[in-house]
Amino acid sequence: MIPSGRAMIGRGWNGRAASGRARSGRPAKRRRDPLWMRLLPALSVVLFVAAWEAAVRYGDVPPIILPAPSSIARYLLAMIADGSLPWNLAVTFMRIMAGFLVAGVLGVLVGVLMGMSKVVARVLDPWIAALYPLPKISLIPLLIIWLGTGEAYILTISAITAFFPVVISTYAGIRQTSQELVKAARDLGANTRQIQMNVVIPAAIPSIFAGLHLGMGVTIILVVAAEMIGGSNQSGVGWLLIRYGQVMETEKVFAALVALAVFGGIIIKAQQAVDRWVAPWAVGRS
Amino acid sequence: MDIIVENLVQVWDDGGDGVRALDGISHHFRSGTLTCLLGPSGCGKSTLAQIVGGIETATSGAIRIVDPSNPAVPPAKPGRCSVMMWQSLNLFPWRNVIDNVAFGLEMAGVPREARYARARELIGMVGLRNFEEKACSQLSGGMRQRVALARALIMDRPILLMDEPFAALDAQTKIVMQEELTRIFERMRKTILFVTHAIDEAILLGDEVVVMTARPGRIKEVIAIDLPRPRTQEMVGTKAFGELYDRILHLIREEVLNAMRQQDEAVL
Repeated sequence: MIPSGRAMIGRGWNGRAASGRARSGRPAKRRRDPLWMRLLPALSVVLFVAAWEAAVRYGDVPPIILPAPSSIARYLLAMIADGSLPWNLAVTFMRIMAGFLVAGVLGVLVGVLMGMSKVVARVLDPWIAALYPLPKISLIPLLIIWLGTGEAYILTISAITAFFPVVISTYAGIRQTSQELVKAARDLGANTRQIQMNVVIPAAIPSIFAGLHLGMGVTIILVVAAEMIGGSNQSGVGWLLIRYGQVMETEKVFAALVALAVFGGIIIKAQQAVDRWVAPWAVGRS
Repeated sequence: MDIIVENLVQVWDDGGDGVRALDGISHHFRSGTLTCLLGPSGCGKSTLAQIVGGIETATSGAIRIVDPSNPAVPPAKPGRCSVMMWQSLNLFPWRNVIDNVAFGLEMAGVPREARYARARELIGMVGLRNFEEKACSQLSGGMRQRVALARALIMDRPILLMDEPFAALDAQTKIVMQEELTRIFERMRKTILFVTHAIDEAILLGDEVVVMTARPGRIKEVIAIDLPRPRTQEMVGTKAFGELYDRILHLIREEVLNAMRQQDEAVL
């Protein structure tokens, strides 16, 4: 039997109460899951790591192929203690922030201009349509010829890649502004400029945030990739990974990967927290 | 403000001959009265309200908004002296209650202190005191209606246009909001155009009910509602109310049947 529409609204696919809005328009009451349910994510990780450890230990796997989690952890701690991991993570972080900042500011600015001015949109549209689907990694040889292998190259490749999702989401958000809201604002005496600042841009914020999230994701990817390919400054997590890989220090490769994964998770969570702080009404709409 | 419309025609472009939404509407909406526009859906009653409000421009016809106590003053431009309360409310979700209500004053450049003071007054009047800082998404449907009403009233314009504002409310909340509007109207005596498809609502609120035909929208009949004010929900049970209801129901039923026949013909 097909469940009634009412039962489906406000519930996730697996029947758990989803955070959201009940039909009445009041915020739905959030029921807390039982303890075992809340521990499930942690339990899943612990079980997986334990199984891995057991498989390596009793399955006689050579550590150069797959080291045990315990030895990865030892190397990880050692790399933190000698400062190599924190320093290279910090370098990578700075590069990510620089690339993201340039892409975010330019992307939002160009997206807003395209949304507000038909002329700008018409002029830029063919370029964006042609360059967006191009894999940005394919620009690496050209950028190295032009910029060398230093910081300028890493910044440029990551910013170019992140620029497109930001611009496209911002432009779409601006264009999708509810015309009803625009009419209402005009009826209340707002002029065109006031409508742009007070209606169109706030209405686009959920889309802009969605674009910035995509942009952050590709910035992380491209910075690490650029550190691996041709990064001449011998720094960053990407460079660590390549160096340890080349000498088959598999434990250190894994340690760097773990650090990178945790670090990426923290960046994404921090970005979500910033979203909630800047525009609480927009969270969950994008 | 008196609103005099003459031979209004609205044709929507549909790529072909166009769809005639309004077909020669002429009426004199009197200053300080509440007129209900009643008709089957698609009859153009919302369009009429939007044309009066200057939100849409009519294909042809004339509209004059004049002050009856001061006939020497030239007619006002539509939109300058009216404000709309929308069917979908159109509150700004990124603004809290007080900043939604104060929107019009903010756009007009009224300083923060002054506009907040005025907004607080109106928020109190619609019964939302202490909800000033709440986000609109935290409010119930009826409370959002009150915010939209306060946001329109703060403009202090002589004409208030209301496009089925209570259609989406549950029956109980609707009764409360109708009484609230009656109370506010009887106190402020604005010129109100109230679009609705509910007969009882039209009789309860209106000084006059303009019954419109199915598309193309024309005025079928204008019925004066001579029930005394203040109006209360209890009047719904009276004989006078019942007679008006039957009379309007008869008119509306004809139009709905007409509309259905037209649709059938269009399909065949």
